[in-house]
Amino acid sequence: MTAVTAPPRELAKSGIVAWLVTTDHKRIGILYMLTSLGFFLIAGFLADVIRLQLAAPQQNIVGPAAYNQVFTLHGTAMIFLFVAPFGFGLANYLIPLQIGAPEMAFPRLNAYSFWLFLLGGLTVFAGVVTQGGAASAGWTAFAPLSDVRVSAGVGQDLWILGLTMTSISGIMTAINFLVTPIVFRAPGMSMWRIPIFTWEMIATALLIMMAFPPLTTAFAMLLLDRHTGARFFDPGSGGDPVLYQHIFWFFGHPEVYVMILPFFGVITEVVAVFSRKPVFGYTGLVLAAFAIAGLSMGVWAHHMFTTGAVANPFFAGMSFLIAVPTGIKFFNWIATMWKGAISFETPMLFAIGFMLNFLIGGITGVMLASPPIDYHAEDSYFLIAHFHYTLGGGSMFAIFAALYFWFPKIWGAKLDERLGRIHFALMFLGFNLAFLPMFFLGVMGMPRRVYTYPAQAGWGLLNLSSSIGAALITIGTAVLVWNVIVSLRKKEPLPDDPWGGGYSLEWATSCPPPEFNFRALPPIRSKRPAFDLHHPEYAKDSQK
Amino acid sequence: MPVRFVALAAAVALTGCAAIPHDATQQAGVMQGVWAIFITAAAVVYALVAGLIVWAAIAYRRRDPATVQGAGFSQNVPLELAWTVIPLIVVGGLFAVTYPAERHVESVVTPPAETVQVTGFRWSWRFTYPRAHVTVEGTSDKPPELVLPVGRTTEIRLASSDVIHAFWVPAFLFKRDAIPGIVNVYDYTPLREGVYPGRCAEYCGTYHAHMSFTVRVVSPEEFARWLRDHGTAA
Repeated sequence: MTAVTAPPRELAKSGIVAWLVTTDHKRIGILYMLTSLGFFLIAGFLADVIRLQLAAPQQNIVGPAAYNQVFTLHGTAMIFLFVAPFGFGLANYLIPLQIGAPEMAFPRLNAYSFWLFLLGGLTVFAGVVTQGGAASAGWTAFAPLSDVRVSAGVGQDLWILGLTMTSISGIMTAINFLVTPIVFRAPGMSMWRIPIFTWEMIATALLIMMAFPPLTTAFAMLLLDRHTGARFFDPGSGGDPVLYQHIFWFFGHPEVYVMILPFFGVITEVVAVFSRKPVFGYTGLVLAAFAIAGLSMGVWAHHMFTTGAVANPFFAGMSFLIAVPTGIKFFNWIATMWKGAISFETPMLFAIGFMLNFLIGGITGVMLASPPIDYHAEDSYFLIAHFHYTLGGGSMFAIFAALYFWFPKIWGAKLDERLGRIHFALMFLGFNLAFLPMFFLGVMGMPRRVYTYPAQAGWGLLNLSSSIGAALITIGTAVLVWNVIVSLRKKEPLPDDPWGGGYSLEWATSCPPPEFNFRALPPIRSKRPAFDLHHPEYAKDSQK
Repeated sequence: MPVRFVALAAAVALTGCAAIPHDATQQAGVMQGVWAIFITAAAVVYALVAGLIVWAAIAYRRRDPATVQGAGFSQNVPLELAWTVIPLIVVGGLFAVTYPAERHVESVVTPPAETVQVTGFRWSWRFTYPRAHVTVEGTSDKPPELVLPVGRTTEIRLASSDVIHAFWVPAFLFKRDAIPGIVNVYDYTPLREGVYPGRCAEYCGTYHAHMSFTVRVVSPEEFARWLRDHGTAA
């Protein structure tokens, strides 16, 4: 199959204007990734405020009103403006390259979705300068806490409007992720040859299309409740606060997988390249991605076990089942490493860190899926520890793996390896120091979203450990920023495949790739076209 | 090597169990059993999978920097079926542990020996004993005390008068949401006399952190005396 229409011509080739008007998928991908990393730095700073306030009992560095805005914006930015959009940016950059296409299927829609995302993020943060401050109802904005009678400030409205924009932006970008690999594949690139990362993005796109419209609906209903007296969620008028939770989590649980499936793809690619092995269990990995996506549509109410308003056993059983395809991913990664020739450059270090951390997040997720455990652990620091192990120790580590792995492809320069190792060491140590103690804090009875705690509770030492961990993570992030600045200066000519062992098509074009990606496409006769091109003597292994 | 993993798993499991509060209610005893099984299973699975990851990384490190490709295999259907079916059996087992425990914890005795209406509001709690006409109401500065008789089943009727709260007694390993427009009903059967801290677990606004209370479990005689002393006549 070939492109049916020529990609739109760029209005400007260089300078700021070129970036403002671009419809080039690579530039849009870079804009997405840079913007999301910017929000990551802000959300990380907010996490430091949280850890400073909680470092010791009964502190008043920030008061309750400010603290509640801080954790609301921290969660909102990390989830809606960092983890998911970084995956979108990476996918924008990589999908056309991996399937041998010159562009996304809908380049203008792509540009629109990025700018709408940026506007949405800025709208959420604009609440900071309004009277009453930013939203403070948590990233979940449960009714009736988010109702106008309780959260009167315009900050809450800006939060709802901003996230509605990012939600619509996500739906549009998902259309591109779904259509492009189906219709724009290069000759020879059958569906069963496209790289796992692109497969994961197809599953992600389907999830977005099913999950984001309900989010937009929930937010529209909140706005109508707030400003037109619609009373969808007002029990005084026959409305139901539990209804909001159903709609929100019908989005919210698939969203969890929108934030992890792309990074399962990243880990698959990184592990195979640095193990110098073909991906093990390609078919199993693809089927597992769709099994996870499918199951994730039927588990939302495990966030609602303590409401007493849902069929707990059904949702517990469905949630347990997700462990099976997730386990398949882990076993396939291990089998990919098995009998390989593994080297430990920074992307691989972060990939191994991902596996060790996400494993903890996944296993404690199975625990939380059991209602008799959830009745104690829900909304405690046990839950905070669990989802930070999936989204921080998991997705964030995979984001760093991706950053180091594809940086030479995107910028034509490798990140410094020594600084990369320091970054990884600080992150791995800091992350576990910060979040492992939280499991124990939760079991001991510390609830989430409290701005302070009494000294006699005995939680001081574990919280201090957590705050020291946060400091190490912050230093690690500073090392990363320094690494990027230093490495960008020393551009040197790189081969098409700077790591060696790259197998997907992006490693068969220059670093960075030219406009429309390929000067000439290599023949595509297996799942490893770039590897076959560079190492024809091993091409027979690609055919298995 | 496997022996060491199992020993490590057992150590982690024991530490985990020790961190869990002792069974202060009959229902908590059942839930503690579920915790113990899950923590043990979690520790074994973690030790096994993390062990494999670390083992593979060390055993198959690149010795010759010029290696272009390690082994060339990329599938093994029997193995892949095995690591699909075995986890399926494991989660089936976990469900079998979960289901009866949940049924037990959720079951409500009728008629209960005692009933307390618990109402959450921003930012404290009101405890009403309807039969004795006793009401205790706290403030965020003065947390209220819920008094329960030991060895008897008390029905809690949980509600909220504004936003959603959650009534959590960590020592009872249990919380339930207090939702406006809904009355959530469940039982406590305390087994040990003592004073247990409790707090709101569902974020409810500015002073959520101060929405605490205590539960005091006393002998039935003391409970009757307490009700008399706090009745409307007093």
